[in-house]
Amino acid sequence: MISQQFPWLTTLILFPILAALPIPVLPDRNGKVVRLYTLGVGLIEFALILYTFGCQYDLHHSGLQLSETYAWVPQLGLNWSVAADGLSMPLVILSGLVTTLSILASWRVTHKPRLYFTLLLLMYSAQVGVFLAQDILLFFLMWELELVPVYLLISIWGGQKRIYAATKFILYTAIGSVFILVAALAMAFYGDSFTFNLSELALKNYSLPFQVLAYIAFLIAFGVKLPIIPFHTWLPDAHSEAPAPISMILAGVLLKMAGYGLIRMNIEMLPDAHVYFAPILAGLGVINILYASLTAFAQDNLKRRLAYSSIAHMGFVLLGLAAFTTLGMSGAILQMISHGLIASVLFFLSGVTYERTHTLSMDKMGGLARSMPVVFTLFTAGALASLALPGMSGFVGELTVFLGMTTSSAYSVFFKSVILILAAGGVILSPIYLLSMLRRIFYGDPQAEFSMPSGSIDIRPRETFIAVCLIVPIIAIGVYPKLATQTYDAKTVEVANQVQNNLPLLAQTSPTFYSRILTSPQLTASKPDGLSAGLLE
Amino acid sequence: MDFANLGAQLNAGTILPEGVVILTLLVILVGDLIVGRTSSRWTPYVAIAGLVGSLTALFYQWDISDPIGFLGGFNSDALSIVFRGIIALSAAVTIPMAIRYIEQSGTSLAEFLVILLTATLGGMFLAGADELVMIFVSLETLSISSYLLTGYMKRDPRSNEAALKYLLIGAASSAIFLYGVSLLYGLSGGETNLNAIASNIVAQGSEPPIGLVIALVFVIAGIAFKIAAVPFHQWTPDVYEGSPTPVVAFLSVGSKAAGFALAIRLLVTAFPLVADEWRFVFTALAVLSMVLGNVVALAQTSMKRMLAYSSIGQAGFVMIGLIVGTDAGYASMVFYMLVYLFMNLGGFTCVILFSLRTGTDQISEYSGLYQKDPLLTLGLSVCLLSLGGIPPLAGFFGKLYLFWAGWQAGAYGLVLVGLVTSVISIYYYIRVVKMMVVKEPQEMSDAVKNYPEVRWTLPGMRPLQVSLVLAVVATSLAGILSNPLFTLANNSVTNTPLLQSSVAMTQDAGAPVQLADAEINQ
Repeated sequence: MISQQFPWLTTLILFPILAALPIPVLPDRNGKVVRLYTLGVGLIEFALILYTFGCQYDLHHSGLQLSETYAWVPQLGLNWSVAADGLSMPLVILSGLVTTLSILASWRVTHKPRLYFTLLLLMYSAQVGVFLAQDILLFFLMWELELVPVYLLISIWGGQKRIYAATKFILYTAIGSVFILVAALAMAFYGDSFTFNLSELALKNYSLPFQVLAYIAFLIAFGVKLPIIPFHTWLPDAHSEAPAPISMILAGVLLKMAGYGLIRMNIEMLPDAHVYFAPILAGLGVINILYASLTAFAQDNLKRRLAYSSIAHMGFVLLGLAAFTTLGMSGAILQMISHGLIASVLFFLSGVTYERTHTLSMDKMGGLARSMPVVFTLFTAGALASLALPGMSGFVGELTVFLGMTTSSAYSVFFKSVILILAAGGVILSPIYLLSMLRRIFYGDPQAEFSMPSGSIDIRPRETFIAVCLIVPIIAIGVYPKLATQTYDAKTVEVANQVQNNLPLLAQTSPTFYSRILTSPQLTASKPDGLSAGLLE
Repeated sequence: MDFANLGAQLNAGTILPEGVVILTLLVILVGDLIVGRTSSRWTPYVAIAGLVGSLTALFYQWDISDPIGFLGGFNSDALSIVFRGIIALSAAVTIPMAIRYIEQSGTSLAEFLVILLTATLGGMFLAGADELVMIFVSLETLSISSYLLTGYMKRDPRSNEAALKYLLIGAASSAIFLYGVSLLYGLSGGETNLNAIASNIVAQGSEPPIGLVIALVFVIAGIAFKIAAVPFHQWTPDVYEGSPTPVVAFLSVGSKAAGFALAIRLLVTAFPLVADEWRFVFTALAVLSMVLGNVVALAQTSMKRMLAYSSIGQAGFVMIGLIVGTDAGYASMVFYMLVYLFMNLGGFTCVILFSLRTGTDQISEYSGLYQKDPLLTLGLSVCLLSLGGIPPLAGFFGKLYLFWAGWQAGAYGLVLVGLVTSVISIYYYIRVVKMMVVKEPQEMSDAVKNYPEVRWTLPGMRPLQVSLVLAVVATSLAGILSNPLFTLANNSVTNTPLLQSSVAMTQDAGAPVQLADAEINQ
C-alpha cells in the first residue's frame, strides 16, 4: 500500500488557511509583499498537490486512497475524514491550477490587498476540502466555509451591482446548502446504524421513497450551485459582477463542486433513485443547453454572455450523468475539467479587456483586434475551445457525452433522438453567440464615441503567461484526451457499472412506483420503453 | 434534632459558589462605603476575582457525592453546576465591558457591580432551586435586580422607560407564575418540593387533573417571559434598546441561561404527567420564536434592537433541545448556551465599544468601519457570523448539535424551521458585516468619519479590549476545538439523575406508542 506516514491530504487542505494567518501582520507597503507571499503559498500548494497525486497516488486503483481519519467531534459523529479517488483527484488539480493562476491574475488588486488575499487562500482551502472530504458533515462544513469569502470577494471588489449580486449569491447558496444538511442528517440516522462516513452511508439499504426524497434534496442543493435552470438566476449576476480573478474561480472551480456532489452523493449513494431521476436530469440538461444558449444571445454584457455560456456547458454535464454509461460519466467529468479551464481563460481575458477598455458592454467595443492583437488571438483560442472546435478539450468533452448518450441502452431510441437532437441544437447555438461576441468586440472599426484610454498596451507578459497556462492543457486534452481521462477512468467505470447494474433490477422490483415518478409530461411516452430496453439486455 | 444532624441535612457546602459571590458583594459594598468614589479603581477586579473564585468552587463541586442541600431546597447536580457556571461566567465577562461604559455615564460603578452580582446570585440560585419557594425567591432576586440594572442610567429617559416597561410586564408575569405555582402547591396537597409534588400528584390517580394543565400554562408564561419566547417577548426590543448595553449583554445570556435552567428543572421534575402538553406548548413557542425573531430582525435599523430580535430567534433554536428531551437534546442546549455566551457577549462588547466612541448604535452608522478600526470590525464580524452559524466558528457547531439532536429524536419539522430561519438570520447578520467591510471610504457614515483615534490606554479601555479579544478567540476556536466543551455538556447531562430518569421515561413512553402503531398497521 501507499505510504501512510505523512498526512498529505490534510496538509493540502490546511496549508492555505494556516498560511493565510500571518498575512495581517506582514510588513507591507502598497500590497506588494502580500501578493508575492500569497503567490508563493499558491505555488507551493499547487506543487504539493502535484507531488501528492504524482508520487503518492495510484492511478489504476479505483477505491479511496491516501485516506486519513481523525475523530473530530465524536459526540456528533463528525470525523476529519479525507481521501482521494479518481473523482476528486482531477478536480483538486483543477482547483489548484485555477486558484493559483487567479492569484497571479489578481496582481493589480491594490484595494485592501490583505483582506483580498486572505479570503482567496481561505477559498483555496475550502475548495480542496470539498473535493477531498469523505465525511458528509465535513463536506457540508467545507461547502459552507466557501460562502462568506466569495460573498465578500464579490461585494468588495466587484462591479457596479456587486452588493446585489453578492447577496443573491449567498442567499441562493445558503438556502441550497440547507438541503445538503437535511439530507445528510436523514441519511445518517437512517436505519439502525449511525454514521456520516460517505462510504458507509453508501452501503446502507435505503427504502426507495427515502432515496427519492434524499435525491431531491441533494438535487436542489447542487442544482442551485451547478446551476440547473430554474435555480440559475444568481449565476449571471455573481459571475458578471465579480472581479475577473474571482469569476475565474467561480466558473472554473465552484460550479464543479456541484457536479462533483451530484456524482458523489446522488449517483454513488442513491443509485436506485438515480434510475428514476436520470431522464429528468437529461431533460434538465437539454433545457440548460438550449435556454442558456438562447439567453446568451441577448446579453450585451460580455461577462453575462460568458456566464450564460457556462450554464449551457454545465447542461452537458447533466446529460453525461444521465447516460448510464461509462462513456457518459467519463464525458461528464471531462466536460467539467474542460469547462473549468475554458471558462477560466475566457473570464480572465474578459478581465484583461475590461482593464483596458473600462467597459463590459459589447456595444461600446469594437475593432479592438487592431490595438490588442495578442488578446484577440488568445480570446479567439478560448472561444473556439468553448464552442467545441475539434482539437480542443471542449470538443472531446461534448463528443464523449454525446457518444455516451447515444450508446446508452437504457433509453428508447425515440427519447435518445429527441434529447440528442435538441442538445445538438445547443452545439450549433454556441458558435453563433461566441463568434458574434468575438465579432462585436474585436472586428470592424472602433466605435466613434469609444476610444481606448491612451497609453494602454496590448497584453503584459504576466497575462500572456496565465492565458497560455490555461490554453496549453486545453489543447493537450483536446489532442490527447487520455491525459485527463486516465486520472479518473478506474473510478468512472466503477460508478457507471454500479448504476447500470441497478437499472434492470429496479425496473423489475417496483414498476408501480416507477411509472408514478415519470409522469412528467415530456418524458412519459418514451420512458417505459426506455426502461424495458434496459431490462431486456 | 441535634445540630450535627441538622448541619448534615443542610449540607451548606453545596452553596459555596454562591457564598463566594455574596462575600464579594459585601466586600464591594462595604469597601465602597469606606473608601468612597475612588473605590472604582479596584472594585471591578474584586468582582471578577470573586466570580472566578465562584467558578473554581463550582469546578470542585463537579463530582459531589451528595448534591442535595438545605433539606431538598437546593440541588447542586451537574446540570445546575453547568448553568450556574454559565451565569457566573457571563457576569464575569460583562463586568470588564461595563467599567468604561459606567464611568463615561458618570454613575457609580460599585453600586452597579453590587446589583449585577445580586442578579447573578439570583440566577445561580434559580439554576439549582428544587423547591417552589426557593424558585420564586431566587426568580424575584434576579428579576428585581434586573429591573434596577435596566434603569441604571437615571438621567436617560429611554433607560427609565425600559425599566418601567420591564418592571410592569415582569411583575405581571411573576404574578402569573406565582399563581401557577400556588395551584401546583394545592394540587399536590401542600408540598413545595418539586419531587414530592410530582409523586403526590401521580399518587392521586393516573389521569392528570385539569388544574395541573392550568398550572402548567401559567408556569410556562412565567418561564417564557424570562427566556423571551414569542409571544412573551414584547418587552425585549424596548428593554434592549433603552437599557445600558452591558446590562443587555447580561440579560441576553445570564438571565436567559437561568430561565432555561428553571425550565428544564421545573418542567421535567414537576410535570412528568403532562410532558406531552408542555412539549407541545414549547414546540409552538419555539416555532414562533424562530420565525418571528429572525424575520422581524431583518427590518431593524438599530443594532441593539436587531440583537434583541436575534436573541429571541436564538432562544427558539435552544428550545429545540428542550423539546426533544433526549440526552443529546439537553446536552446540545448546554453546549449552545456555552458558545452563545461567548459570541453574544463578544458582539455586545463590540457594540459597546462602538457606541462609546461614536455615541450611536444605528446599523447604518457602522458603514466603512473597517478603514478606521479593523480590530472592532473583525471582532463584530466573527461574533455575528458565528451567531449566524457560519463554519468554522463556534455557532455553527452549536446549531449543528441542536439540529442533530432534533433530527435524532425525530423532530423533523422543528429542525426544518430552524434551518430555514437560520438562513434568514444569515442575511441580517451579514448585512452588518457588509456595512462595516464593504463600504468604500467615500460611503463612510458621519459617525465613522469622525471616529476618534483608537486609544486603549484610557481608563477602563484595557479590560474592554481583553474581554473583546477573549470573546473573539473563544468564538473562533470553540468550534474547531470543541471536543472538551462537548464532553462537558454531555457529562453534565449524563451525571444528572433527574434528567436521566426523564430521558428513560421518554424512551419508555415512546416504545409502547410504537408498538401500538405497529398493531394498528397490522
